[in-house]
Amino acid sequence: MPHEELGASAPGLKFPRQTFISLLVFAIAWQALSYLAPSLGIPPFAVPSLVRIAKSIGTITPIDIAVTLARVIGALIASFLLGLALAMAMYNSETLEKYLHPIIRLFMAVPVVSWILFAVLWFPGVEFRIGFVLVVVCGPVFLVDTLDAMRSVPRELRHMMQSFRPTTLQYFIKLMLPAIVPTIFTSWKVNISLAIRVVTIAELVGAVTGIGHQLSVAQELFSVSDVFAWTIVLVALLFLLEAIVSRVETRLLRWRI
Amino acid sequence: MSVPPPIEVRGLRKLFRQTTSGQEVVAIERLDLTIAPREVVAIVGQTGCGKSTFFDLMIGLEAPTEGSISIGDKTPHGDFDHFRGRIATVFQQDRLLPWRSALDNAKLPLELIGIPEAEQRERALSWLKRLGLGHFINAFPHELSGGMRQRVAIARAFAVQPDILLADEAFGHLDEVTAAELRETFLALARECGSTAILITHQLEEAIGVGDRVVVFGKSAKLLADIHVAQWPKSKYALLREAIQSTLQSNKPDPRLKRLGVKPARKKKN
Repeated sequence: MPHEELGASAPGLKFPRQTFISLLVFAIAWQALSYLAPSLGIPPFAVPSLVRIAKSIGTITPIDIAVTLARVIGALIASFLLGLALAMAMYNSETLEKYLHPIIRLFMAVPVVSWILFAVLWFPGVEFRIGFVLVVVCGPVFLVDTLDAMRSVPRELRHMMQSFRPTTLQYFIKLMLPAIVPTIFTSWKVNISLAIRVVTIAELVGAVTGIGHQLSVAQELFSVSDVFAWTIVLVALLFLLEAIVSRVETRLLRWRI
Repeated sequence: MSVPPPIEVRGLRKLFRQTTSGQEVVAIERLDLTIAPREVVAIVGQTGCGKSTFFDLMIGLEAPTEGSISIGDKTPHGDFDHFRGRIATVFQQDRLLPWRSALDNAKLPLELIGIPEAEQRERALSWLKRLGLGHFINAFPHELSGGMRQRVAIARAFAVQPDILLADEAFGHLDEVTAAELRETFLALARECGSTAILITHQLEEAIGVGDRVVVFGKSAKLLADIHVAQWPKSKYALLREAIQSTLQSNKPDPRLKRLGVKPARKKKN
């Protein structure tokens, strides 16, 4: 069976043989490099052994994972609701769309680091700063994707729906929302990855809790194994969230061919 | 079931402005037409003659530039909400919602008019069964054949038991056998429900076979002929077909239609 078919059968949760082998090869190479580091002139702390990294993983504080996860999920939900509401308003009003479009483009062009600096300068509360940065980065992505998806709903379906004379609310609930669900899932997957990276930088700069903060502490202590451990946690978190979204997507979009 | 109101089309004119050139295009020049309650009227015409514009005006999605369409004392565009559940449509393509099962698609117009959930299910199910889809109620559109999908679309239209049924080239994309079968089913159900039915088609056999009347549209929906099919013996259908064909090609009524006693189209009222 081709590789694509294997992956497609249960997106997000399968652990194909090829993935396992490539990760195993990488781990062996890393262990070898760690072993050979002193003879290659590399300081031993720069390439910690797998055992050392495993020990660091053992010291990880779940509360920091929970805090980061809560920040990511909370901000993603807020961004999604804001993006969806604005997309619906812009879909209904061409004038509003003309006024808001340049601002959205501007927001999307501003680098994440600039948003973090603005947040630090403008807002006193740490949580608000992080939330602000996440929403301002992820919100426009949800908005643009949703608006594009709404505009892509086939004219034939819109025409059919209108011929049965729905109310505006019925039109959105029965036609537009279900039609844009596939795009919403894609947007969520993109934004999960984006949010994990952004929240890490934001926590690195201004927080006293969370994975980003722990990475900052590890860096101050020159503990490369701790940096690795927290990075592994971040990657695992990303994969887990993506797998959950993929599972929900498969369940909800079973009508697709 | 109550008698549906009559349809009166008076001095109907529809212009469109081309977005690129800004030029005005006359889709319907001036149309006068009366359709009695429970009549089955087939409208034939060549591609681009304004049939589909007339269909959109009948649904109420477009407003006339001049003139009016009245259904009883209401207009489909001006009194848009009044016709919720009273006008139903079957389109050329099935236009089923791909994320809904056959049953949920058939339920759609019932959900929109807000009848109780149990009744929605019962009515949609009964129509699907009558259309031979009792074993496919949970199938998604992509799991059904073209003919089956069109049956679901017909069930969806009949589920609200509308006063007026509109069908735009509803069977034109199906193979001949399936199309003929569905055409007969559609006609039988329309008569049984007591609905007024307007079928738009470019197929003469379909128009003559289905309609009580065949209305022939020329360019810009000019009314070229209004034929009461029931008055014709079946033995003369071939001649009638030829005469309509000739009418469509020349964009003026074929003399054979007059000789054979076809009601002449109304003269323009200026």
